Amino acid sequence: MNLDRILDVLDKAHGGPVHKERDFNLGVVAATISAKVEKYGLTNTVDVQNPIGSDDDLADRVYQAGFEAAVEIGLLCSDTNRAITFTSEELQTAIDEAPSEFWLGDGDQRVHFQHRNLDDTTAPVWTVPLSIAVSEDIFVEMVHGLASIGVVDCLEGPSLETIYGRPLRSGSPYEHLAGRYQADLMFEGIRRAGRVGMPMDAIGSSTTHYGLLGGYGVEGGYRPKKDLVTILSIADFWTSYESLFKLTQVQVAGGSHISASTWIMLGGYAGGPEGTAVACVAYSLLMFAVFQGSRAGVPPFDLAYMGNSGRRAQWALSVSNQAMARNTNTVYHSVANQVSGPGTKALLYETLVGMTNMAVTGVTNVVGTRSAGGRLTDYLTPLEHQFGGEIFKAAAGMSREQGNDIINKFIPKYESDLVDPPDGQRFQDLYDVAALKPIPQWQQMYEEVKQEAIEAGLPLD
Amino acid sequence: MGGSNEYENLREAILDGDREAAVAIGHDAIEAAQDLTEPVGVASGVIREVGDKFGTGELFLPEMVLAAEAMQAFMDVVTPHLESEATEGASARHGKVVIGTVQGDIHSIGKNIVATMLSASGYEVVDLGVNVVPMDAIKAAESGGASIIGLSALMTTSMPYQKEVIDLLDAMNQRDDFWVIIGGGPVTMEYADDINANGWAPDAAAAVQVCDHMLSSKTTPASTNLVYRAAG
Repeated sequence: MNLDRILDVLDKAHGGPVHKERDFNLGVVAATISAKVEKYGLTNTVDVQNPIGSDDDLADRVYQAGFEAAVEIGLLCSDTNRAITFTSEELQTAIDEAPSEFWLGDGDQRVHFQHRNLDDTTAPVWTVPLSIAVSEDIFVEMVHGLASIGVVDCLEGPSLETIYGRPLRSGSPYEHLAGRYQADLMFEGIRRAGRVGMPMDAIGSSTTHYGLLGGYGVEGGYRPKKDLVTILSIADFWTSYESLFKLTQVQVAGGSHISASTWIMLGGYAGGPEGTAVACVAYSLLMFAVFQGSRAGVPPFDLAYMGNSGRRAQWALSVSNQAMARNTNTVYHSVANQVSGPGTKALLYETLVGMTNMAVTGVTNVVGTRSAGGRLTDYLTPLEHQFGGEIFKAAAGMSREQGNDIINKFIPKYESDLVDPPDGQRFQDLYDVAALKPIPQWQQMYEEVKQEAIEAGLPLD
Repeated sequence: MGGSNEYENLREAILDGDREAAVAIGHDAIEAAQDLTEPVGVASGVIREVGDKFGTGELFLPEMVLAAEAMQAFMDVVTPHLESEATEGASARHGKVVIGTVQGDIHSIGKNIVATMLSASGYEVVDLGVNVVPMDAIKAAESGGASIIGLSALMTTSMPYQKEVIDLLDAMNQRDDFWVIIGGGPVTMEYADDINANGWAPDAAAAVQVCDHMLSSKTTPASTNLVYRAAG
């Protein structure tokens, strides 16, 4: 970590341009993104029939538009109402200084993250699961099951719904305790799976900085040199002291690696798919500049159904990924935001589409799966994470054209249900928890969809 | 003023988010001493259309916010001149809502969308912002004379603060003073029922309908079963 850059960011957060909320959202974010879309001829370039396009020039124009937007918008700190802004030179330097590769983890579980290009055979990195709430009494079993999957490289979530039987409250002392408590449970889960040394993202259960203060860089907690700190900013060009405290805690604890990410709302202040793609690039570049991310990434999130498996979002995801892969040498990461629940084929189809898209558009690392949209406690199982990793790694090396052909076969299988998706069932209903085995019906769905994927051209066998 | 052309202008002013034009049309209508029921009904219809188009992805948030602001500007002009409290489609002001994202949670977009739709639908909205401490939400509702407290949470770890507001109202014997509506990504109808909230909605348009339903109820908050609307 570079202390001078941290201090520069803090100084900007306390001395940058002042904005009121409405004026920033409409007058700065919406107006700037709209102007860049027009300036770079991006209006009506969305092609929902071909969500993974192969237009290099379009990707480059999205990048240029995003770079300029990043300089003109910056990130507004909600605690100071001041924007953290960078000159073009400062932003470019930050992008150039971001690592193109790094290692996490320990021993035989070390994981290599490296920049990927389009149509790249370099193996991508699969981190599971997202920070979906799980009951405390099955938490270790869930981690054990997830860490036992061979194609899984790293762990992020799940998150705890309670600690010591008490509701986990954001921003409270419970969250401070949860940091260390989650580390204990995660280490026990990976020990049972025989994967001691596996890298982790800190800290799934705590969205505020309190969990990090309690569980990162303390004895028995997450390991500053081996694990990654996740800093999630607020959507659409906002940040806060919470995120900046995480940045300073990494510095204080002698840490090395940050994952800086958030999302852009498709249909929000960035507007439609074209503006969303530009905003994803702009926000991603700012993640490297503000938080010195070893990896960073900003996927879209469609407000119409709170996911990104639909055609508009898949297009915005693809174009912004391609823009970053072609124009930077950074380690880019992203998220497939499914809405269907475990125990349904729809979840597997959504996963197949999202992971294929990201594999062929230069993404190094994906964190997933957002089973049931992450909205229901215990609605995730190891099996969809195995499937996601298999797809991600099998699709690496395929062309964008091949990827587009494949996802076009599967999007029609779920797109009409995105607004009202099936919830599926809980881990306890879909698994023999003690044996960590899926019930036959769920296993059969997995086998059937995997066979469909093979027949569509994914080299899974 | 009067006739379809003027109403078409009003429609355009709201759709374009043109506050100045909306205000001018309001003043023209008052000067013409016409029945204001009809243009208010037109404006209400337009804002419902805007909300529907936002819900289906045909319009985006900036357009909806600007349209709602134009609608509000028009209503601010004509409201003092409305002959009756209630007019067809939209009243002068339905009621007052204090709304915020709960403690420990700084997500704002969902809350902003709901606040915008409520304002556009005739509610007086006090936006408390994000990271709102439970007692502060209650105090704001008390001091502002609100009928409804709206609480947004986007994280499972901030949902307990929605319950905390209801628990505090119970503990202070004030449960009948306010209707409480909750929402947010992980907030399910079942959770709303479990914590004895009065209303739950999966999106902004439904939130308006739930608020309308609660305020028209003949019962009191403490004795009312959960009011909810499904998406769409």
